[in-house]
Amino acid sequence: MNTIGDIIGRATELPWLWAGLAAYGLATIVAIAGVMRMPHRAVGAMAAYDSYAASEKGRAWHGHEKLVLTLVVSGVALITIALAERWVRIGHGPFVNLFELLMSQLFSLGLIFAIAYWRVPAMRASAVVALPLIWVLGIWVLTLQPVDTPLPPTYHNDWLWAHVGLGKIFLSLCLVGTGLAGVILLRHSERFAPWFRHVPANEVLDGLAWRFMLLAFIFHSLMLVAGAVWAQDAWGRYWSWDALETSSFLNWLLLGMGLHARFTYRVPLRAGAVLIIAVFVFAFFTYFGTPFYSEAAHKGVI
Amino acid sequence: MKKFLRALGSIRLALVGMVLLGVGAALSYDNPAGTPVWVLVVPLALLAINLFCAIATNPRINRRPGLLVFHLGLFAIIVLAGIGRLTHLDAQLEITEGSAFSPGELTEVKKGPFHGEGLSKVAFIQGNYTVEYNAGLVRGLTHSQVLIPDGRGGVMSRVVGDDRPLVLEGYRFYTTYNKGFAPVLTWTPDQGESMTGTIHMPSYPLFDYKQDSTWTPPGGKPLRFWLRLDTGLRQDAAWLLDGKKASGVLVVNAGERRVELLPGQSVRLEGGSLRYERLTSWMGYKVFYDPTLRWLFIAAVVSIMGLGAHFWRKFGVRMQRTHESSVTDTPVASSGRMP
Repeated sequence: MNTIGDIIGRATELPWLWAGLAAYGLATIVAIAGVMRMPHRAVGAMAAYDSYAASEKGRAWHGHEKLVLTLVVSGVALITIALAERWVRIGHGPFVNLFELLMSQLFSLGLIFAIAYWRVPAMRASAVVALPLIWVLGIWVLTLQPVDTPLPPTYHNDWLWAHVGLGKIFLSLCLVGTGLAGVILLRHSERFAPWFRHVPANEVLDGLAWRFMLLAFIFHSLMLVAGAVWAQDAWGRYWSWDALETSSFLNWLLLGMGLHARFTYRVPLRAGAVLIIAVFVFAFFTYFGTPFYSEAAHKGVI
Repeated sequence: MKKFLRALGSIRLALVGMVLLGVGAALSYDNPAGTPVWVLVVPLALLAINLFCAIATNPRINRRPGLLVFHLGLFAIIVLAGIGRLTHLDAQLEITEGSAFSPGELTEVKKGPFHGEGLSKVAFIQGNYTVEYNAGLVRGLTHSQVLIPDGRGGVMSRVVGDDRPLVLEGYRFYTTYNKGFAPVLTWTPDQGESMTGTIHMPSYPLFDYKQDSTWTPPGGKPLRFWLRLDTGLRQDAAWLLDGKKASGVLVVNAGERRVELLPGQSVRLEGGSLRYERLTSWMGYKVFYDPTLRWLFIAAVVSIMGLGAHFWRKFGVRMQRTHESSVTDTPVASSGRMP
């Protein structure tokens, strides 16, 4: 009989995970403090993201931003060590229980957010929205026991890697889009608007956010295809309307409808931002909510 | 006519179709068999018509190669999925070790109205299998040996299991958790010829506690069997289920009479005699056939590549150009459209 003490005692990955979460936490604090102390000068409206990105202002690093990036990268590095430690200890990747899924998601969200933060200056202020969202997972993982898991027989399949990896990229791109959408919405609040005066106009953020959502749509589509191939190999059917399949397909439809609406009609900026956040929330519940209303996330998963 | 086609290919109709498909998907959740098929077929048909008309009439699609490929791919996926449902086969199979596959043994058969006769060409013989278990009876890898004709009059051995199906004539045979033991019995009636067959006991080790079954021999009275197995089963450590290493005592109940038989032993019963020849095993397979699988995959990948190319063309190239020309701040054009 394993006690909680035994389980935690065996989990040598925990110190690395805690250190990684601490780095993410510090990055969040620095990001928020940074935008609060930012000089209240408007950057000027831009016609498009491309113009902004090419300008001097668009390429500049603000005081706290390098520190935020350093902390997020440190967090990713520490969680990478935690994942490797657990992998070596239990003999397989983070694919089975919620603790492993959250841990790997903390890694991928941090990694892709860091890349976007480094490469796309216009989205850096969105760290004040995106990093706390990552921390929701961080707090959640702290409440879970790092129970060892055996790898189900159908998980010995290369398509699982593709499916999981593409899904993580999709969620991470949604997170970046959501961060930008969050800034657009926060700007409508008197309390938070001054934090974002140095940030490009809402039109720029909106265009950028939807680019990330279109990219997310591509990766979501690839995830569905890779998942169907895996499901065909693993369970002898490529689609069976189980909890995760249905939820992720509805998520794909919602994002598809959003993109069609956004490309075709003059969707108000706030409505567009709400739609992006709705897609992220749906995706979040698809990933982390299905275990709570479905006996097995994927039918016949073990 | 063109106006009508434009209306059929409108974005508004696409959005309606997607909403209806979403409703159909939500209704199908966890119960595709119990949900009327039209909740998916109607929106998919509507979307197929919408896609076809949009491709034909909408210059925002048909003049952009990436978007055109993406939407053509989606159209192909809908058509292929439809063909797949009309020609598919889903079934279950329990096959005894050492016996040849026969299409008549399939159970729970569901097939499309245009499913062909290819199953009659499928031939294989089931061999032995092993299943690895971790501590706590957590199932690991299955290794099921099958013998298939090599085309030169002989047979060749292949090991399948879990995510490595046996694929013959396009039919895919997947091992399942459903497998167990089967005593081989010979019934020799008082008059007539003897017959040999197997009784498939319930799935093992899932029903380790309930290895029983009933059978009524021709001209005899109902018999109740119970199999007392020795497989080395253990829950506290890793264990290998291997039919070759298992043995079992067959308990036969005929009315009030109870007899225990070891392999090779017989018992005289009303109407004939029963001989317990040996213990063997059976494997449960899920059988799947869909001739469109490969084409669905190709259509999906090409479709997404089209969307990727569109993204790159729309944003990647422009971003590079903009960086090269070092454009500075420009006045705002307040638009909700994608820049």
